[in-house]
Amino acid sequence: MLAASATEPLRVPALVAENVSKAFVSGQQRTQVLDGLSLSLDAAELTLISGPSGCEKSTLLAILSGLQKVDGGRVMALGSELGQLDVRALERFRLQHTGFVFQGFNLFPALSAFEQVELPLNHMGLSRNEARARAQSSLEEVGLAHRMRLRPSELSGGEKQRVAIARALAKKPELLFADEPTSALDAANGQMIIDILHRIARTHGTTVLCVSHDPRLVVHADRVLAMEDGRILSDWRTQAPVFDSKESSS
Amino acid sequence: MVALARKTLIYEWRRFLPAMLAVGFAGLLQLLQLALVLGIFGSTSLYITGSSADVWVGYPGTQSVGSGRTIDADVESRVLMDPAVLRVEPYIWVDGDWRGKTETGGISVFVSGIDPSPEGLMFSKALPPSLRARLAEPDAVVVDRSVLTQLGVDIGQTATINGHQVRVVGISSGLRALGGVNVLCSLDTARGLDDVPADNGPTYLVAKLRDPRQADAVAKRLRGSTAFGPYTTWSARDFARRSVRYWLFDTGAGAGVLFLAGIVFLVGAVITSQTLIAAVNGSVREYATLNALGVGVAALRRVVLEQAFWVGALGLLGAGVLGIVLMVLARSQDVPVVLTLPAVLVCIILVMGLAAVSGLAAMRSLHRADPATLLR
Repeated sequence: MLAASATEPLRVPALVAENVSKAFVSGQQRTQVLDGLSLSLDAAELTLISGPSGCEKSTLLAILSGLQKVDGGRVMALGSELGQLDVRALERFRLQHTGFVFQGFNLFPALSAFEQVELPLNHMGLSRNEARARAQSSLEEVGLAHRMRLRPSELSGGEKQRVAIARALAKKPELLFADEPTSALDAANGQMIIDILHRIARTHGTTVLCVSHDPRLVVHADRVLAMEDGRILSDWRTQAPVFDSKESSS
Repeated sequence: MVALARKTLIYEWRRFLPAMLAVGFAGLLQLLQLALVLGIFGSTSLYITGSSADVWVGYPGTQSVGSGRTIDADVESRVLMDPAVLRVEPYIWVDGDWRGKTETGGISVFVSGIDPSPEGLMFSKALPPSLRARLAEPDAVVVDRSVLTQLGVDIGQTATINGHQVRVVGISSGLRALGGVNVLCSLDTARGLDDVPADNGPTYLVAKLRDPRQADAVAKRLRGSTAFGPYTTWSARDFARRSVRYWLFDTGAGAGVLFLAGIVFLVGAVITSQTLIAAVNGSVREYATLNALGVGVAALRRVVLEQAFWVGALGLLGAGVLGIVLMVLARSQDVPVVLTLPAVLVCIILVMGLAAVSGLAAMRSLHRADPATLLR
């Protein structure tokens, strides 16, 4: 944990990767995709990992979100070391702390927008009323209050992705991961999605990590990590940082 | 709680339809097969279940009603000496060769010679009193409605059994036999039809007790005496079971039925599980997303199992409706079908078991719902 100095507000990184390495084995072939990568992400920011396809940015996202195990190094999320958690504990951690938005919207065709958002909340131990209130406010927040009785087949691509965001947002996660959330959308819808993600980071204090190869998103992020061949090449902020950053880059 | 399993089932009913049809038809086949087995093999004990005798006396080692030998007529007095016995009457079984009015070739008939008096025990439940009374006429016989064409006669016409002339005085229903045709007549008529000179006693003696619940005890008590030549006794229930068991197991028919039931179950389970697996695969990305959001694999398995349950329940409902229609149709055509509550329960258990097995098989394909695969 990093200590805050007297002049700065308390600032603990929400997500830290230390010296992370990962290799994939296919037959006799062993490919090292991440090698000693370290980074640290702060809350209330939208961090964009950008880079060409094949640069292993999705692998990094899977590792940082606990969906994949590291071969070496460690990932600390909200003070927990993900590598120490078993499958059940990881599920519990994800249930309580993380939201996901994927490139495909992955909505159940049979459920209305409202039910898509309510469904994961049912498993969080919330009361029925609490779950419904949260689903309602999340859908309002992504601007779908008037469309929430519709099924995916009646929604546009942009609307579907907003439902997917509402589904993640209603859990009130501290960590929100988005993998290529705009690549299936046109420019206007893509911009709307990235704006919503940005606003979530700012208003809810959520750590939002977005992976994309789409260069148009760069201007909407607080911080941009450019990645290539499993390494982070550059790390910059698009706006004047509010606080001094303490994160390290590889 | 959002009812994901049910809503998906309703919204994507086309996807689940093959499974429901497979379950439904498997259930229907099991149901009808069981009804036919009970109907056909139940008819082998009709002589016992259609009569009101509590204890049967016959030749030792008799395996089914149709394979008895004559016993000494004097055994009757021995049976009557027992204070629990209310009434005893002889029952004569004669295997005969039937010749009808029209040329039909040889037809083997099972002649049942019974006491035609109103208080007679044999076929008291299967034969209406008016028909029974008509059997008192010499050479009068009653046959089942379903075999008239086969016998080549109609009511009022004459035919011959073992060369002796008989007259059809009545037509009954529910008297179908397995492997032959039942012909009912009086004891006197039956004695006249029997060509075997050695047969000088009744094939069976049937007794009614003051208290039917004592059947087992009385049957046991009457056994073992050899003073009147070889004979043994059974309670009516035991003898009926013995007859059905002989036909089901000793003839190989039962093995065939069980084999077919197994095949139906297997085919149903294969189709149902494949359909459910396809349904799981079709939603695997959504399941993976739920798992990424922290919904446990156990909860996802429950969704698949619930779908299997509803597929089973709906298939069963369809099988039930169709089954009732077909049973009514079969009854109207004199096809021997019988359904009992235990048989229906067996079918329900088989069908729901089939759905459960398929659900478990489909559950296994949930391992593909690994959220890491969504990040590619």
